[in-house]
Amino acid sequence: MKRLLRHLILPAAFLALCAVPWLSNDYIQYIFNLVLAYVVVAIGLNLLLGFAGQFAFAHAAFMGIGAYTAALLSSRFGVSFFLALPASGLLAMILGMLVALPSFRLKTVYLAMVTMAFAELVQWVLIQWKTVTLGTDGVSMPWPSIWGHTLQGDKEIYYVILPIAFLAYLFARQLLQSRIGRAFVAVRDNEIVARSCGMNVALVKATAFGVSAFYAGIGGALFALALRFIVPDGFGMFQLILHFSIVLIGGLGSLGGSVIGAVVLTTLPEVLRGFQALQEIIYGVSLVIFMLFMPRGIAGFLQAHGWYPREILVRGWREARAGAGYGLATPLFRTEREDGN
Amino acid sequence: MYALTLICAGLANGALYALLALGLVLIYKTQDVVDFAHGELFMAGAYIGFTVYQLLGWSYPLAFVFSIAGGALLGILLELIVIRPVVGHPHVTIAMVTVGVSYTMKGVVRLCFDSDIHTMPPVSNSSVSWGGVVIATQSLINISVAILLTVLILALFQWTRAGLRMKATQQNPRGARVVGIDTGKIYALTWGLAAAIGAAAGFLAAPVTLVYPDMGAQFILKAFAAAVLGGFDSVLGAIVGGFLLGVAELLAGGYISTRLIDVASYLIIIIVMIIRPQGLFGRSAVVRV
Amino acid sequence: MNPVLRVSDLTVRFGGLTAVDRVRLDIDAGQIHGLIGPNGAGKTTFFNAVSGLVPAHAGSLALAGKTITTAPAHVRARLGIRRTFQALQLSPHLTVLENVMFGLHSEIRENPLRTILNFSVRKSADWLAQARARQTLENLGIGDLALEPAGRLPFAQQRQVELARALVAAPKLLMLDEPAAGLSPAEIEQLDRMLVRLCKESGVAILLVEHVISLVMNVCERVTVLDRGSVIAHGSPTQVAADPSVRQAYLGDGNVAAD
Repeated sequence: MKRLLRHLILPAAFLALCAVPWLSNDYIQYIFNLVLAYVVVAIGLNLLLGFAGQFAFAHAAFMGIGAYTAALLSSRFGVSFFLALPASGLLAMILGMLVALPSFRLKTVYLAMVTMAFAELVQWVLIQWKTVTLGTDGVSMPWPSIWGHTLQGDKEIYYVILPIAFLAYLFARQLLQSRIGRAFVAVRDNEIVARSCGMNVALVKATAFGVSAFYAGIGGALFALALRFIVPDGFGMFQLILHFSIVLIGGLGSLGGSVIGAVVLTTLPEVLRGFQALQEIIYGVSLVIFMLFMPRGIAGFLQAHGWYPREILVRGWREARAGAGYGLATPLFRTEREDGN
Repeated sequence: MYALTLICAGLANGALYALLALGLVLIYKTQDVVDFAHGELFMAGAYIGFTVYQLLGWSYPLAFVFSIAGGALLGILLELIVIRPVVGHPHVTIAMVTVGVSYTMKGVVRLCFDSDIHTMPPVSNSSVSWGGVVIATQSLINISVAILLTVLILALFQWTRAGLRMKATQQNPRGARVVGIDTGKIYALTWGLAAAIGAAAGFLAAPVTLVYPDMGAQFILKAFAAAVLGGFDSVLGAIVGGFLLGVAELLAGGYISTRLIDVASYLIIIIVMIIRPQGLFGRSAVVRV
Repeated sequence: MNPVLRVSDLTVRFGGLTAVDRVRLDIDAGQIHGLIGPNGAGKTTFFNAVSGLVPAHAGSLALAGKTITTAPAHVRARLGIRRTFQALQLSPHLTVLENVMFGLHSEIRENPLRTILNFSVRKSADWLAQARARQTLENLGIGDLALEPAGRLPFAQQRQVELARALVAAPKLLMLDEPAAGLSPAEIEQLDRMLVRLCKESGVAILLVEHVISLVMNVCERVTVLDRGSVIAHGSPTQVAADPSVRQAYLGDGNVAAD
């Protein structure tokens, strides 16, 4: 019975969220769209920072690349949004794997600085390469169309953004409960042990960067869709710090935490819109207070008190525990092993 | 001739980068913390100077003194209240704390002073002519201050008891405590010193960069680039890196493209990290995994 | 029949210091080989060189006939060398099961797309892998601790988790770095029996570094003694114990205290 309930949570949540456009006005709908875009971005950063332990400051740049790819392909080349979307993810992913290279040798803060420099460089390119990106004039994102019908308005694009965000969450969970997710965590906790267990650490890092950037790219495309107009300025340091805040306040190493963080930190700036000084103060102070008193974020706090479970990174651990029986007589060891592994 | 002008101007800019980088390096060496709020300490120095001189109407030298003292006080308070509790936590946590401080300071300043841009007069409006090149006296002052402070810091480490204690704390905090060094005082002293230097840089920079809440953002990245170039754990590296960056920026801007001036710092960070991550004077063990 | 491990003239240098000087040894399948020597003799460096964490400057290494001298550490692990560490290296916040599953990383083969798209538990690659992990834990007597956070277990059991992580991939060579350190005499005896059983049942070769001489004497078939990077004695435990140069290396007579 408990198992059935567990399996129903996500579908139920999805159905509940599908009802939102009937209950909201345009502004609230816009916020929902924005939050979901940030959920995807935050999951990406959490995979890299929380699970793989790589302190990289380039996430906003990947988001920007994704956003610009989607917007430019749609508006200047008439490509359908549904083709531009994977393109955004892929382009960001390729750049992400490039940024992975310094991570093979550099320690934490140095990696942070070189990725920060890279991010600034990307933003500079977005501003200067006027012929392609239209520079500071910005690019507008046209309404997506599907099977000849153009989706218009925040409420209609919600039905594009919502399923994508859900799939993003689902795929992240699948990834984490596999050898890939475990490899991320092993590399985070102890690279030497990881190597001694047969893990190619460089490949694991490259994978982490690639997947994380892919998510940022997709999130960027959704962001462009929600905002409908993007400028290079929007993908600089402030955006980056927002990402980090979402992941840290929500909870590092917890997918649920990314959702919580996205909800909390996306709504806040909107509420304080127009009061930049106040925004900065509340934002800054919250960040400090959370880091001092709740460094593992909201999800971490809930987990420590047992109110929110940590998902164990082994698929089917519950089924095995219930004595499902493997039906295999596996010998403890073999001395003959196939080579060429 | 043209090159010489660029070099002199570059050294003047570089002096300011060097001062900020110096503060960053001091804090990093002592506590293994990268201070992302350093640009705001720089800004604080400029605003304190502005308040004392322009708003209160007191004398210029006094404004400078207040600026440095205010900076030092801010640094010490920050260390005590916000940094001390998180030393030893993961780097991400510490970094985010300094980022939070940075935003809070920007917000407070914006609340008190508005986002308006204010002006400050330079120490001296005159200029010096030397071998056909005209150098502003202010530039010479900046360069001298940077060199002087670096020499003082190096001397501090080498010859004074406080300096020795700082070195001991850097190398082994637990060991330092065992021999009776009050590492808490050392941390506070380091931050006070670093912040004071940063504030001084802000005061000196204000006449040219103008005074506004976001003025720290541009400079912090250049400070990082200078520190990375020189070696993040080297005091000498900070000043050399600062001067080199300042000169390289303007030479590249003058001879290749003015657009390079903005990105020079980013490119330098990336190139240094690829070729020689420990910078010119840093130790390799500090950097590699 | 090739020895499982053949070390020929292995040399490791750090700057001007030669930490390991032309060491040679052979270990056959099912054999337990002890490596002892005073502190600073180069045992840890040798260990790290064999497992691939430290590069060798000269000499060669072969695993079951295959040369691995320049192979990176993770490749050696995949080929069949697994090890434990002197200072416990577990992920304390993860469960025992997750820690042990790290060891199966290279044994699990699954197309990443399948990983993401396959929602059936029983058809996932993890299902079979988990069976092996649980069985290994069962064989070491800690099967019911699978879902405990590793950091909360008593020290001896944490050591067993680390051992499980190394064993789960059915290695050809198991390298143990001071496995008895921190164990009570009763626990050492247990370890003793377990190692012997392991070799007999599975044929795995074991190389162990140890200061607890009683363990070495009881369990090892052959012992190599290192001093200042070179081999000073080699043979059965009794032979080595009687060797005067070994006594000299340890300062004083043959009464070597356990750690």
